[in-house]
This record gives sequence, C-alpha cells and structure tokens, in this order.
Amino acid sequence: MKANLAGWVAVLGILAAPSWAHHSFAAEFDDTKPIKLGGKVTKVEFINPHSWIYIDVKGADGTVVHWAIEGGSPNALYRHGFTRDSLPVGTEIIVTGYRSKDGTNRGVGKDLTFTDGKRLFMGGSAPGADGENEK
Amino acid sequence: MRAPARRFVAGIALVTGAALLTFPAAAQSPAPLAKPAAAAKTSTWKAPRTADGQPDLQGIWTNATSIPMERPKELGAKEFYTPEEFAKIQGYHGDRNPLPEAHYDMSQFGIDPLQNKFAPNLRTSLIVGPEGRIPPMLPAAMERNAARAAAMKGHEWDRAENRNLAERCVMWAQEGPPMLGATYNNNLEIVHSAGYVAIFTELIHDARIIPLDGRPHPPKSVRQIRGDSRGHWEGETLVVDVTNFTDQTAFRGSSEDLHVIERFTRTSPATILYEFTIDDPSTWARPWTAQLVMGPADGEIYEYACHEGNRALANSLSAARAQEAAGKPAK
Repeated sequence: MKANLAGWVAVLGILAAPSWAHHSFAAEFDDTKPIKLGGKVTKVEFINPHSWIYIDVKGADGTVVHWAIEGGSPNALYRHGFTRDSLPVGTEIIVTGYRSKDGTNRGVGKDLTFTDGKRLFMGGSAPGADGENEK
Repeated sequence: MRAPARRFVAGIALVTGAALLTFPAAAQSPAPLAKPAAAAKTSTWKAPRTADGQPDLQGIWTNATSIPMERPKELGAKEFYTPEEFAKIQGYHGDRNPLPEAHYDMSQFGIDPLQNKFAPNLRTSLIVGPEGRIPPMLPAAMERNAARAAAMKGHEWDRAENRNLAERCVMWAQEGPPMLGATYNNNLEIVHSAGYVAIFTELIHDARIIPLDGRPHPPKSVRQIRGDSRGHWEGETLVVDVTNFTDQTAFRGSSEDLHVIERFTRTSPATILYEFTIDDPSTWARPWTAQLVMGPADGEIYEYACHEGNRALANSLSAARAQEAAGKPAK
C-alpha cells in the first residue's frame, strides 16, 4: 500500500509541475546565493506579473539596507487569500529566497515568516516558493 | 536546475513503478477505458440558449488542469483513469510539503497550484487517442527549429527583443489558441453577442472577438501572433477556425502554417468540453487532437496588466551584463 502511495505522489509530481513565473528564475536570480533577511515591510506593490515586497533590514552596526523581494502574481495571491492587508507597512518578517544575479539588493522570495511563526510561501519564481521541495 | 524539473525527472523514475503497481494491465494490453463523464456526448442534456438561439457558453470559466499534454509512456494506451484512481490523484494533499519545519497550512497559506479548482476530467493526457502523444516532428521541421535556435544561440540575452513572448508580456504560451491551463490565473470569460463570441483570457489580458458570419480569413499576408479566429456553430458546438499565425507563435515547434480548430461544447451546467486539433503539415505528418474540460471559475476575472511591473525583463538583462562583466557567459 505504501508503495502505491509513493506511486501516486510521483504521478502527482508530474501532473502538478508548477510554473509560477512568466520569466526564467535562473536568468534573474542566483540559486547559489540564498538570502535570509529580517526586517520591516516598507511597501508592498500588488502589481502584475509579480508582486514586490520592500523591506528595511537593519545591520548589526545599525545601518539600514533597503531590499526588494519578488513574489507571486497578485491575482493568484488574492485568490488564495493573500491581500494587501496581509502585509501592512511596519510588519516584521523574515524572508528567505535568492539574490539577484546582478548583485543589487534585490531578490526573489521563497517564503516569509511572521513573528508568530506563521509562514507563507510566496508563489513566485523561486524554487520552493510553491511549498515544493527547493533542492 | 529548478525544482519542478528535478521533480519531473524523479517522477518519471518513480512512475514506472507506479504504473506496474497500479495499472498492471497497461503494459500487456489496453486497459478498460472508463468513460469520461464530462466528455459523454450521448448525454441528453442540452445547453440553455441565448436570446438569439445560440447554445449558451457564457460565463467565467477556468481551464486549469492537472492533466499533462502528453501521456506518461508508462501508462501505455490507457486513455482514462477510473474514478477511483482519479480520486486518489485529486485528493492527495497530505505530506506534500517536504519542509518539516514549515508551518504550512494548505488551506490558510497554501499558494499552491493544487488549490486551483479543476473541472473533472479522467483523461491521462490532454491528447486523445491510444498514443496520447504529439506525433513525431518531421525532419524538415526539426531542421528549421534547430537552425532558428542556432541563430539565436549566444544572443539570447543581447537585448529585450530576443527574449520570449511571455517575458516580453506579448503572449503567454498557454494563452493560445489553443488555450491551455497555465497553473495560475487560468481564467477566461466567454460572452456572446449577435454575430460574435468574445473570449477574454486573464493571462495575459487579451480578448478574441470571433465573428460568426462566415467571413473569410484575411489574406495570408496578414499574420498575427494569436492568429485569426473565425467561428461557426455545428449543432451544440462552437467551432473556431484559427489561421494566419506568425512564425513567432511556434506552438510546440509549429510553423506559420499552424492551423488550429477549436471546438467548444457545453456538456453540463458546470462544464465546457474544449477540444482542439493542431494541423500543421509543415511540422507534423498528421494532425493531433487534445481535449480539456473547463469548469466554472471562482469569482471575477482580475486585471493582469503584465507590463505594469514587468521588471524581470530589465533585471534579467542586467543580470546578463553582470555575468559578462564577471567573465561568465550570460544564461
């Protein structure tokens, strides 16, 4: 029975292969440069084809660095219950994802974690952004 | 390599075992085919009529599908799942998240393709028939496509115009015609009017206004990325004939001779059977046909203004320049 279940999971893997982005992840972001950023939300752009979340990350020396993080299409996020109100300005979050290849302070989000531990997959182009295994 | 691709490879490897365990008959002889409820043309149900007597296709529909275009080879000639097999596929959500530390509540936080609403469809592949696969490409077509790829090689990231239609927000590959589910935002609205049917697709913000008055296609000199659509009714079915494509459209490697015949049949209050035939004698030796079932979409169509935030195009080119500056080839 267990073997059967594994088989169905495998079938599912084929059937549900997601394509969440309209562009190539690899062209824009670097999967050898994972990032984990803790900071405060300063702005959320609910725009297509990808939403963008802006956070201010304070370094150990008190310097604040601005980061821009790509997320999923707002249409899809909205249908799954993620609205503009889900991430008010000032919210403390931790974002994991991958940095842009051009080395700027831009990245793509895989997931974000709220201070209460709740975690949200960002539905963007990053491996793992749909809750699937990223590696 | 991205996760979906890796998972696909792993899935292929595992599904061989699944096919043996689950479909023992498939390897030796065609398995008994379950009749697809949504595709049953013998149903006595008839679509409601619009004021001018057309079968009513109107509404907001989703063409999200979990069915692959081509049948996994391991399933052989098995064209349909049984309802029990299908229920297993549809119902399986548990333990899917492989990240044990994640608070992953599918119902609350899942930005997950499987939360899409799918119309029931027992097909093992969208392509119909015992093979369930795209016919082999003609050698001349393979040469044509290879030459094109070779001409672009090394220049993919030179400039924005070299990027694909989707990245440039020109057309989403699954948008069609033929119209295929795109995993998210798979929504379309059909509206009838006297002498026309209009189909508006959310991704990526395009409408087809299809005349039904029998007018011919424009001359072959007029080429459009989404082709030119002309419709007519055959009984309960809206047939849309699409020609005059450009060579940029290149659906699955097609040429500008691509000819798509779409058939829309309202098969129940909650389903439209959407069938398309691909006929491109410059690419495949014979036409091939696929079917998917559309179901009612939840909620409204939302604006997908693809250019509004299309930063990926500039960011990708910026990444390519950074790669080159570091002495690495852009990719």
